[in-house]
Amino acid sequence: MSLNNAIKDKQLEWSSVMDIVNNVRVDELGVIERTSSLATRSIKREAKLDALKRIVTMCDLTTLEGEDTEGKIVQMSSKAMSPDPGDPDVPSAAAVCVYPALVSTAKKVVKNSNVNVASVSSYFPSGQAPLESKISDTKFAISEGADEIDIVINRKAFFEGDYRKVYDEIYSLKEVCGNTHLKTILEIGELKTFENIKKASVLALCAGSDFIKTSTGKISNGSSREACLVMCRTVREFESFGFGKKGIKVAGGIRDAKDAIRYLVIVNEELGDEWLSSKYFRFGASSLLDDVLKQIKKLKTNAYQSSYYFPRG
Amino acid sequence: MTEVKKTYKNYVNGKFVRSESGKVYSVNLKNEKFEIPLTSKKDLRDAVTHSKEGFKHWNKLTMYNRSQILYRLSEMIEGNKDSYISLLHQHGLSKNESKKDVENAINTIVWYSGIVDKWEQLTGNLNPVAGEYFNISHQEPIGVTFSLSSNKVSLNHLVKSFLPAMSVGCSVISFTDENAILALKLSEDINNSDFPSGSINFITGNFGNIVEDVGGHVEVKLVAIYSDITNEFIKTLSERGADSVKRIFNKPAVDGLASILPFIETKTVWHPKGK
Repeated sequence: MSLNNAIKDKQLEWSSVMDIVNNVRVDELGVIERTSSLATRSIKREAKLDALKRIVTMCDLTTLEGEDTEGKIVQMSSKAMSPDPGDPDVPSAAAVCVYPALVSTAKKVVKNSNVNVASVSSYFPSGQAPLESKISDTKFAISEGADEIDIVINRKAFFEGDYRKVYDEIYSLKEVCGNTHLKTILEIGELKTFENIKKASVLALCAGSDFIKTSTGKISNGSSREACLVMCRTVREFESFGFGKKGIKVAGGIRDAKDAIRYLVIVNEELGDEWLSSKYFRFGASSLLDDVLKQIKKLKTNAYQSSYYFPRG
Repeated sequence: MTEVKKTYKNYVNGKFVRSESGKVYSVNLKNEKFEIPLTSKKDLRDAVTHSKEGFKHWNKLTMYNRSQILYRLSEMIEGNKDSYISLLHQHGLSKNESKKDVENAINTIVWYSGIVDKWEQLTGNLNPVAGEYFNISHQEPIGVTFSLSSNKVSLNHLVKSFLPAMSVGCSVISFTDENAILALKLSEDINNSDFPSGSINFITGNFGNIVEDVGGHVEVKLVAIYSDITNEFIKTLSERGADSVKRIFNKPAVDGLASILPFIETKTVWHPKGK
């Protein structure tokens, strides 16, 4: 059954979701070919500068370490507000992404800016906890002032074939979130196949996520452009059948501007330029921003830069 | 039997690579003509990126270990002495001059491998201060350096253009123009001497193509010019390097302790004397 037939009066019954999930097929070679051909697009000069600045506005500056302290969060949040204080032309980042316990610290710093505070919850990164705990984790993050919530799907349930549980958990957490932006992390490095990625994307979107996100950044296989392409196509189908525009966040292992631009090309080609804004596309990154700032300055001064000259954070 | 010709390539990050531009230029020797990589701006950028990593790895080794690696280079050249002599001969040197040059190069390398764990005793010191403090001049390698090697056909001159920087712990991007074949041949022995990847890189081509980027690249901390270049180039390097306060040395010393002084930076440390 196609997505089209499944949608009656814009209501998705679980049986319809199940039908879609069971009938997911992805042409693996086609995805790889298309991704590698898009990677050869050459983006230069003005277009590159525009892309780089967009990347800054799409960055969720992230730190998710056990060693995070309030001082570190304050520093990172300040950097998100003005990534390059020496160049007013460089916009601020989209958000800072922290653990729930540090949301209030970040919020205090960014409250008068357009930088959002995102928090991971639902027992990030493993998601191995009962639903009640995930709900209270999420409620806490929201009460501390989080504007956006990043949750992980229940991979245990996914691999056990209990798709209903995966769906229900996301659905419950979206209920908790209400208007708070919900991003659902699929952890594509664990899902491995494109079909699994597409299935998980469908489950997350149908359950009400505002964004689907590639990875936690906590395992060695982070984001991949191929996975991004599969996710873009799922979002496109979802939109074309009248369920509205959903966003994508790529995270994990995207360290240089060149790679980031390649992601933008994929999004532009698969979804269109409407998606090229922080409303629908984000990069979860810690070191990417530095490279982007270096490249912006390189374009302006024609001299290769060192991250030494940009703020730490 | 078919004679197999060698394709010389740039040596960057411990790998033999062609120029990303695919461009080459010709070097004519007595009996042979070689097409070797014409380094582009992007090649330089890549070399600097790797050299920065190489600096970390090279500098992390103990001085004793660095010394051993440099000494191993002399052993490698000793083992391939004949091939260097014949290559120099191909460049137009007499057999005798060639032999002498290779022997001098080996001696130079042995000297620098010896200085690796001794230079700091010689250049650093305890300064007299009016107070109950130790005031110590501690010295550190400056970082990623770019060296334009001499245009004289000589293995000895070539090694003298990167050994001073290497011996104090800097990483080097060695650029050669006319002597490119010699440098690229040497890179093969470098590759067999346990140097960490990126600590020493050899790129070849026309200096004029990359002079602006060498000057402008913020990560290059020092440029040492051992070759004759125009004042125009020196001016470009100085102007482009001003923003990052790049050290530019035109014809620094090539012998003795004086040769390493440009590549070190002094930090002064104060420490109270205990009672």
